[in-house]
Amino acid sequence: MFDFKLTQPQQEKHPPIDVEQEGQIFDLVIIGGGPAGLTAALYASRARLKTLVLIGSIPGGQPANTDIVENYPGFPDGVGGPELADLFRRQAERFDAQVVQSEATEVDFSSRPFIIRTHTSSYRAYTVIVATGAVPRRMGVPGEDRFYGRGVSFCATCDGFFYRDKKVVVIGGGDSAVAEGIFLTRFAQEVIIVHRRDELRATKIYQERAFANPKIKFVWDTVVEEVLGDQTVTGVRARNVKTGETSIIDSDGVFVYVGMDPKTEVFAGQLELDEWGYIVSTHRQQTNVPGVFVAGDVQDPLYRQVVVAAGTGAIAAMEAEKFLGEYPQSEIDKVVSSSSDHC
Amino acid sequence: MPLLNDEIAGQVKEQLETLAGPVRLVVFTQTFECEYCAENRQLVEEVANLSDQVTAEVYNFVADKEKAEELEIDKIPAIAVIGAEDYGVRFYGIPAGYEFTSLIHAIQAVAAGEPELSEEGLQALAELADPVHMQVFVTPTCPYCPQSVVLAHQMAIASPMVRADMVEATEFPHLSMKYQVMGVPRTVINETTHVEGAVPEPMLLEKLQEALAGIPEQV
Repeated sequence: MFDFKLTQPQQEKHPPIDVEQEGQIFDLVIIGGGPAGLTAALYASRARLKTLVLIGSIPGGQPANTDIVENYPGFPDGVGGPELADLFRRQAERFDAQVVQSEATEVDFSSRPFIIRTHTSSYRAYTVIVATGAVPRRMGVPGEDRFYGRGVSFCATCDGFFYRDKKVVVIGGGDSAVAEGIFLTRFAQEVIIVHRRDELRATKIYQERAFANPKIKFVWDTVVEEVLGDQTVTGVRARNVKTGETSIIDSDGVFVYVGMDPKTEVFAGQLELDEWGYIVSTHRQQTNVPGVFVAGDVQDPLYRQVVVAAGTGAIAAMEAEKFLGEYPQSEIDKVVSSSSDHC
Repeated sequence: MPLLNDEIAGQVKEQLETLAGPVRLVVFTQTFECEYCAENRQLVEEVANLSDQVTAEVYNFVADKEKAEELEIDKIPAIAVIGAEDYGVRFYGIPAGYEFTSLIHAIQAVAAGEPELSEEGLQALAELADPVHMQVFVTPTCPYCPQSVVLAHQMAIASPMVRADMVEATEFPHLSMKYQVMGVPRTVINETTHVEGAVPEPMLLEKLQEALAGIPEQV
């Protein structure tokens, strides 16, 4: 009944683990440790590129807080999200990718080699793959921040336990909202899914299960305008977008699944972003900076699937390998200056 | 039947190979009325078997009351992770799931005795004039939680004024109620101040100083 996860690869030390790393230059530094970053690491290390992965503080990316993943091929009975995350990491490490549990805090893509800084170290690399993923979007309504951890949650697997026999609302209508809503019925007495449209966006199989679940109710065409409470959450103030009527939905907890935002603050001013903040991938996972590639949800506003993230991670790594092959290190500077003439 | 499978055991062995010094895992247990005491003890013994530098010591929470008081253990299952000195690193509830990572980290960290914190952080902790008790509430299924536990334990190692507990919320429902834990990680500092979520070092330090200054929380 117990499982034991050892998600800790190398701890980043002060000074860096291997002092000699200071002087060395990686072929490839991958920023991000979700399905995209770890698949890129797998491909790069098998191509024998000297690869470092900065997996950030939550190794495994979004699957790490997903109860079960049913649509990643090769697992006919589904696979636990954390388990899948762990399998990705182990497969990458098997071929000697160096994995560091640290987050990039600053990058300089204008110098060659590129510079990637973390809280404690800085690394140099000839190529970079950005795979930082996406983070849950907040609703941006009064009470949401104030009650974070006191009834407002973004992680059902973390916090579901605290809502045993209670009533919770889940905000959203996509895969995450509906799947996590179903998960929460293991604990909660009643789960109310509040969605701004009159139909769900979630995959049909999730919809079927949710509609068949007696603990789940739906409130359609409705947005949340405020999270209400005193010490803890007591409910939400909701507004029907069609009729304009407002009402109060009583609830002990609010789980927010209203979408994801790409995690790109670190790259602003360095890489071209679209108006929603996604990194623009021109062709074959390339960014506007030659030698910097991108993979996964940070460049994908449309599909956001584990299998797609892994696929783009593989492409990015193969393109990085090709880039390194075509332009030996001494040539990279020349290539860059000539190609940037055409930008 | 071992709790750790061969693969995890292998990884633990590898990680504990380079321990900087000896570590004692002092376990407090009880035969009855403690849901996971037996498993907690077994886990510690299995981990200790994976390194020459790590030893398990088992005490009974009732019969060895003096030992429990000496180490300020007030509930079970409990583990005190002790290196060259007792830095105040504790685990209450079995460190299963993601928290197993926190246990292995704590072993490495007390063995090294050199906290991995920023210069500013170490400075601020060195200047603490009053005792600080941090309780980090977690669930085993929370991928964000080890970050908070590890940070609190690092601070305990850095300062003799700080002690830090992991508290597995599902095993101590009365504490979860008392501290109104509805989401994890939640760090309770000196009974008065709460921190929600896995916050970075500077923010935790700020909260810690607020707690010491007696600044009331804004609710």
